[in-house]
Amino acid sequence: MNDLERDIAQLIIDTLSLEDIEVSDITPSMPLFGEGLGLDSIDALELALALQKRYSIQIASDSRDARQHFTNVASLAAFVEAQQTACAS
Amino acid sequence: MIDLRIADWRAWAPGLDSSEAWQSWANAPWTPDEHDEQPDCGFLPAMQRRRLSRMARIALHVAWPLCGDEEQLPFVFASRHGETTRTYAMLGDVADQQPLSPTQFGLSVHNAIAGQWSILRGQRGEAVAIAGEGDTFEHAMLEAATLLDQGAPAVIVVIAEERPPAPYAGWIDDIPFSYAVALRVGASRTGTAPASRWQLQLISSTNEVKTDWPFALDFVRRALHGPTTSLVHTWKTRQWIWQPIP
Repeated sequence: MNDLERDIAQLIIDTLSLEDIEVSDITPSMPLFGEGLGLDSIDALELALALQKRYSIQIASDSRDARQHFTNVASLAAFVEAQQTACAS
Repeated sequence: MIDLRIADWRAWAPGLDSSEAWQSWANAPWTPDEHDEQPDCGFLPAMQRRRLSRMARIALHVAWPLCGDEEQLPFVFASRHGETTRTYAMLGDVADQQPLSPTQFGLSVHNAIAGQWSILRGQRGEAVAIAGEGDTFEHAMLEAATLLDQGAPAVIVVIAEERPPAPYAGWIDDIPFSYAVALRVGASRTGTAPASRWQLQLISSTNEVKTDWPFALDFVRRALHGPTTSLVHTWKTRQWIWQPIP
């Protein structure tokens, strides 16, 4: 797991109060929703808000790709990097 | 006039979490120090616990043992002031022009705890959330009486209040410390004799009778412990008379 992925895993734990889970329990490819970490739709909203605040990025709520971006920690990290590059340019 | 059988009860306050502790408190009441203590609600998996506010944890903690898993009982949640901690935090976000947390916003309704009880306990029956004045306790019991009258074998009643954030100090002066009292009104869970039986009567009177503590706590102290004598509680023009039935 790279630094950004570790950072996002910690953000997920803190934002969603996953009190019995540690960063080391989350792998980059572990599904976040349903099976895997077991998050739900309210978590998705909460997480989107936390990501926007933390990384100063925009997430369009009607983005067709949102489901793809929120698949796992690796996809979220790739999305955050892409958004940061887009916002910076 | 209504008859109320109190089959069982539980109460929680900081440092007061056993029948022995409440017995001591009833003998010589004090205001416990408070440092954000909350029950751990270890009976729930962590994933189900994480969205419970402090007040929700306190309320569920006291209500939990009063209802059997096989039972479906109506639920009455009563709180005069509700979750001021959450409200204040959200108002702060609004003032700072910050987006609101979807979780916090979604749970910022007076019936959120009743909803969480329903989901977490698989309770599909009636649920009522009320906010009254200084006699919220009596109104909750009145609500329970109407549900019993409609055929419910028993009703779970929870009265909960949380110490508000400091800026509310000029407005809220009736919460000396956070507390919750849960009562099982009606039939006992185990079929044993009811803990106590009461007749509740409302008359119109402005002859104020001050109670030392919020009435739910005074009820714990004077009705659920020690000698059972009648209790009188007046709020504005409403005088509630609690008469023990031997």
